Amino acid sequence: MTDPFPQEADPTTSEADTRPRQRFELEDTGFDEVPPRFRKFYRRWRGPGDQLGPNEVICPVCKVVIRSTRELRPGDRVYCMPCMSRLIVVRGEDGRLEARVAY
Amino acid sequence: MADFLAAYSIQNWLESCPQGYLVGTVYGHRPEEEEPAALLENEILREEAIRTTVQLVVGERCALAASSGLINAAPDEASKRFLATQTLDEARHVEIFTQRLLDLGVPKKDLESTIQHFANPNLVKFAEVLLEKVDKKDFVAGVVGQNIVLEGMAFSVFEMMHAISEPTNPKFAHMLSGTIADERRHVGFGENRIGSLIKQYPERKPDIEKLQKEMSYWMLATFADAFRNNPARAEFKRIEGELGRAGVHAEWQGVDLLTMEPEEMEHLLADTVLKEFKIRLGRIGIEYQTPARP
Amino acid sequence: MQNKRLSGHPKSAEPGEGRFDLHDLPPEVFYDQVHSFEFWFQAVQGYLSNKVYGVDPNIAPPDLPDLDRDRLITVLCNYCVGETAALEGSSGLIGIAPNRQTKIFLSTQVVDEGRHLEVFLHRLQLLGVADPESEVERRASRSLMLFKRRLLELVNGKDWEAAIFAQNVILESLEFTVFQSHAREADPLTRDLLLGIVKDERRHIGFGENELGRRLQLAPHIRARLGQVKRELDHLVLDTLEETLLELGADSSEREKLGRAYLEAAARLGLGT
Repeated sequence: MTDPFPQEADPTTSEADTRPRQRFELEDTGFDEVPPRFRKFYRRWRGPGDQLGPNEVICPVCKVVIRSTRELRPGDRVYCMPCMSRLIVVRGEDGRLEARVAY
Repeated sequence: MADFLAAYSIQNWLESCPQGYLVGTVYGHRPEEEEPAALLENEILREEAIRTTVQLVVGERCALAASSGLINAAPDEASKRFLATQTLDEARHVEIFTQRLLDLGVPKKDLESTIQHFANPNLVKFAEVLLEKVDKKDFVAGVVGQNIVLEGMAFSVFEMMHAISEPTNPKFAHMLSGTIADERRHVGFGENRIGSLIKQYPERKPDIEKLQKEMSYWMLATFADAFRNNPARAEFKRIEGELGRAGVHAEWQGVDLLTMEPEEMEHLLADTVLKEFKIRLGRIGIEYQTPARP
Repeated sequence: MQNKRLSGHPKSAEPGEGRFDLHDLPPEVFYDQVHSFEFWFQAVQGYLSNKVYGVDPNIAPPDLPDLDRDRLITVLCNYCVGETAALEGSSGLIGIAPNRQTKIFLSTQVVDEGRHLEVFLHRLQLLGVADPESEVERRASRSLMLFKRRLLELVNGKDWEAAIFAQNVILESLEFTVFQSHAREADPLTRDLLLGIVKDERRHIGFGENELGRRLQLAPHIRARLGQVKRELDHLVLDTLEETLLELGADSSEREKLGRAYLEAAARLGLGT
């Protein structure tokens, strides 16, 4: 299967932004829907009062928060394991990062 | 009937299987267990292990197709739910035996061609006879074929393989013991559920007896291919001698399998399975039909 | 402002660090992982290991007023119809699934659907329904029964794309939307049950959408046929949604919002009309 979003470039850089990315130490927040070793990569969305970090996007399919060990930028690939989706990070109309499903 | 089927609930299945004997396992064995080096480094034994595992994959794929197909044909909700657990059990078996092929060194890209190359044509015929009934949504014949004939055969084959593997290959033995635990539920359901249906539909008996006879023939033909003219047996004995394990025993059905000739093992397995068929079928009111010997 | 507690503690910029990040996995490794029994096995361990019939055994069945109890029974009966449709549909799909991973994934879905049916029937028993199966027949929504019949026709006709669309996109999206909404207002026991089911549904809707999304990219002509299936089924689904939400006491704006939520998945596949 061809990957339409290969990580051909160094994933820590992008055309738009060459400054080094922030790195994050992820902690298990109690998300229990994936095998233990992957749990820290996800958390529940807590509603309107919740805020996304620079290493987080919401899965549009199942509404779980996807987390990475590094700051996310447009063009990055992320996986939503709870719903098994592959996504690409894009800049939304409001300037915030969003994830689109990559079929 | 409802009370008996309560024992086959998904809740019971969750508690006994994923939360019971599979806890702490990865692909059906303990994470630290591996195929023995003596097997991986010997081309004759490795190929025989691949050949054997391919038959398990073929059998389990058939069981997966049959159990999932039977859900739609099941006459009541509780049977549908039991068959849902059986479907997942069979899929797990397909997965762990496929993983074993990879562990034995089959490249991932060659999986399907390896399965096609080694699949025993008699086992394929055995599967076709069963799946024809399932395709016709014939629940009674399908469950007899699947949960009594196929699972009854698998139960004895796995027990025999387990006895041989226990002293020599703990990883494979562990995979088989979990599979055997699953098969216990499947044969139990088959016998218990079909017993009442046969009473309800006695006119189905001749058809089912014919099915059992036909499937039994293809099963015996598969056994014959597996045991006769098999060079791996002598190699296995030679290696066991080299490893200084001449005193190791593999007890099954009151005999030591490691001291037997392949033809003797074939007869022991065939006789055990057929005897079991006869007893199980007798309990549900079906007259056992002696198959032709290949 | 970044929510540090939730998003993790920032570390210094270390682009070359060899730390494992799940999102670096090649897609084929990711799909192999998530479509396996092993994945399902470890995932459900996380949220089912302490449950009995889908609920925390420490939650006592609440006493409900007669009218609420009766409405809940009707809703649960219709959930049972939906789950039976999904059980029969997903099991039938195994036979026509295009590869081993898909067959194995669908097997996990089959047992999920069987579990849902079982826990709903058990909840009906706790509500005092002596014979849940006949109660389900008596209270089943006509629209949902028609949907079930049509879904099984698609499965029996071995129409993989249309059947996956009807089941894992349309039916699962409907259930996902309704169960989440219902859980917010439900009694503690029903809520716990529904939240566990929603966790299973995430896998099912994700699988359906991704499987069809990939196929639509490779063969865009399928879109017209799926659009036809959607038009045929939409009114049955929306009628069912309306009936269920009325039983749950949802107001018209909530019903409209949930109707839109249901249609989102189809829209992402380019099947918006």
